Amino acid sequence: MPAMLEYIKLEVRRTLRDPGFVIFGTGMPVLMYLLFTNLGGGAGPDDMEWKIASMVGMAAYGALGAAVGTGTGIAEDKSLGWLRQLRITPMPPRQVVLGRALAGSVTVLPALLAVLAAGGLVNGVRLALWQWAALVALLWAGALPFTLLGIGNGYHLSAQTTGVVNVGCLMVLALAGGLWFPIAAFPGWLRTIAEYTPANRFAYLGWSTTQGTAPGATTIAVLAGWLVVFGSYAVFSYRRSARTT
Amino acid sequence: MTQTAGTPATDTPDRGTHTASTGPAHATDAAATDAVSFTGVVKAFGAVRAVDVIDLRVPRGEAVALLGRNGAGKSTAIGLLLGLDEPDSGTVRLFGGPPARAVTAGRVGAMLQDGRPIRRVTVRELLTFVASTYPHPLPLAESLGLAGLTELAGRRVDKLSGGQLQRVRFAVALAGGPELLVLDEPTAALDVEARRAFWSSMRAYADRGNTVLFSTHYLEEADDNADRIVVIDHGRIVADGTSEQIKGSVGGHLVCFDLPEGFTAELTRLPGVVSAEVRAGRARLRTDDSDATVVALAGLDAIRRLEVAPATLEDAFLALTHTTRDAKDEMKDDTKDGL
Repeated sequence: MPAMLEYIKLEVRRTLRDPGFVIFGTGMPVLMYLLFTNLGGGAGPDDMEWKIASMVGMAAYGALGAAVGTGTGIAEDKSLGWLRQLRITPMPPRQVVLGRALAGSVTVLPALLAVLAAGGLVNGVRLALWQWAALVALLWAGALPFTLLGIGNGYHLSAQTTGVVNVGCLMVLALAGGLWFPIAAFPGWLRTIAEYTPANRFAYLGWSTTQGTAPGATTIAVLAGWLVVFGSYAVFSYRRSARTT
Repeated sequence: MTQTAGTPATDTPDRGTHTASTGPAHATDAAATDAVSFTGVVKAFGAVRAVDVIDLRVPRGEAVALLGRNGAGKSTAIGLLLGLDEPDSGTVRLFGGPPARAVTAGRVGAMLQDGRPIRRVTVRELLTFVASTYPHPLPLAESLGLAGLTELAGRRVDKLSGGQLQRVRFAVALAGGPELLVLDEPTAALDVEARRAFWSSMRAYADRGNTVLFSTHYLEEADDNADRIVVIDHGRIVADGTSEQIKGSVGGHLVCFDLPEGFTAELTRLPGVVSAEVRAGRARLRTDDSDATVVALAGLDAIRRLEVAPATLEDAFLALTHTTRDAKDEMKDDTKDGL
């Protein structure tokens, strides 16, 4: 167990010291949030509603990007031979994957916190203290399926492909999930599909919190389903790569 | 001990056969005296048999060199030894159990050949992590010192030169204080000075009673730093013993002389001669009785610029491994910088 803590520390350091991760991973969602909420918007009750909804959407988008990005790091480690080196340390393979997933969860926090801070400090979003706390906790925990999706890609694909596929996953999930633009603007059939995508339900955890309610049973069930799907994919990919590398 | 059908057990202990009920336990005990044991191990990649039936036992505390040219099967053998790859047939045992068990128990440390640096961590952070995964690691200062990294502890791994990085890989292998240290081409990127320091640290670590197995294509390194040399060629062990034994096994001396005009005697028929080669008018005879060979040459009045020298490990290596023309040419390229 101390080994896994050291491993998580090592991986978190590696990620947070990456200027690309800090600038794009954290800066982009903040910038997009501020642009989307301050360009062409008028002052009014609708305006604050949009500032809150978009804050949750962009925080979710930032968290999603960091979570999926964990897999890009794994693919890189595979090509460096670091995964092979890890296999000859006494740390059991299961702990390596788990440690990596937990490290991925930690690196989700900066983007999440930065967007919420921009909402509170720049856009004047006011929520109860418990709501802020619940937002952080729910969006943080809810990012786990996406970390697993990234890990699955990372073990499954080559370093170059993983980067592209992960960005593709991020874009599709964010757009289809209504993280950038509300799904209310979608045509009806697309809206129905969108409600079953993982990113949409992920953001719902936040949207229901800002409305002062608990996330619905459907939201939890849909997210749990995706957790199983992405988790199985991660396990499958890991086993497959352990056989071939 | 499990044996795969079709591969004869070379080390079936006679003492184990009549105690069938306690057989497995006995076999484990017997093998436990060995740090490493390969029994009839085969590994093929496609049509290429990278490891083509290897039987090898390394008792604890021994320093063993796996010597062979590039592509001889050394790295494949090391991958099998560490449990990174599974043999197609045969058995690999470390301390009497499967490799994965010894690895998980923290008894093995290894330096892989192809590892590139992970980014954005310092040498100290990397070694602290690796040490934390072992039950009885070396103190950090000690692994840094042995690898000559004390000055570089705060530097980022990805900012180091090739030679410095090689020392980091060595430190990673040492950090856990393993009983079995496995080093694949450990001195590949090191300059002369760093190489000397590396071997003195390696020997210091071996002298504490640890087992060390390293691969190299540098003959001198094998000669100077191993108790025992295992020569691998085309996935097979072609010689196994001390440097002296290996030199002796291929003919103890070289007799060289300029061939006189019109010399007709068949060189390999001369007394003591094991093999003969003529290059640019000069004959090189490998002989296991140099006195008899020289006397015979004198009788033929063939002594021109005569030289008699003990066979070097290089000669032995060449004799053992140049089974095909291609292999010989390729090997010369690989070994020349090591000589």
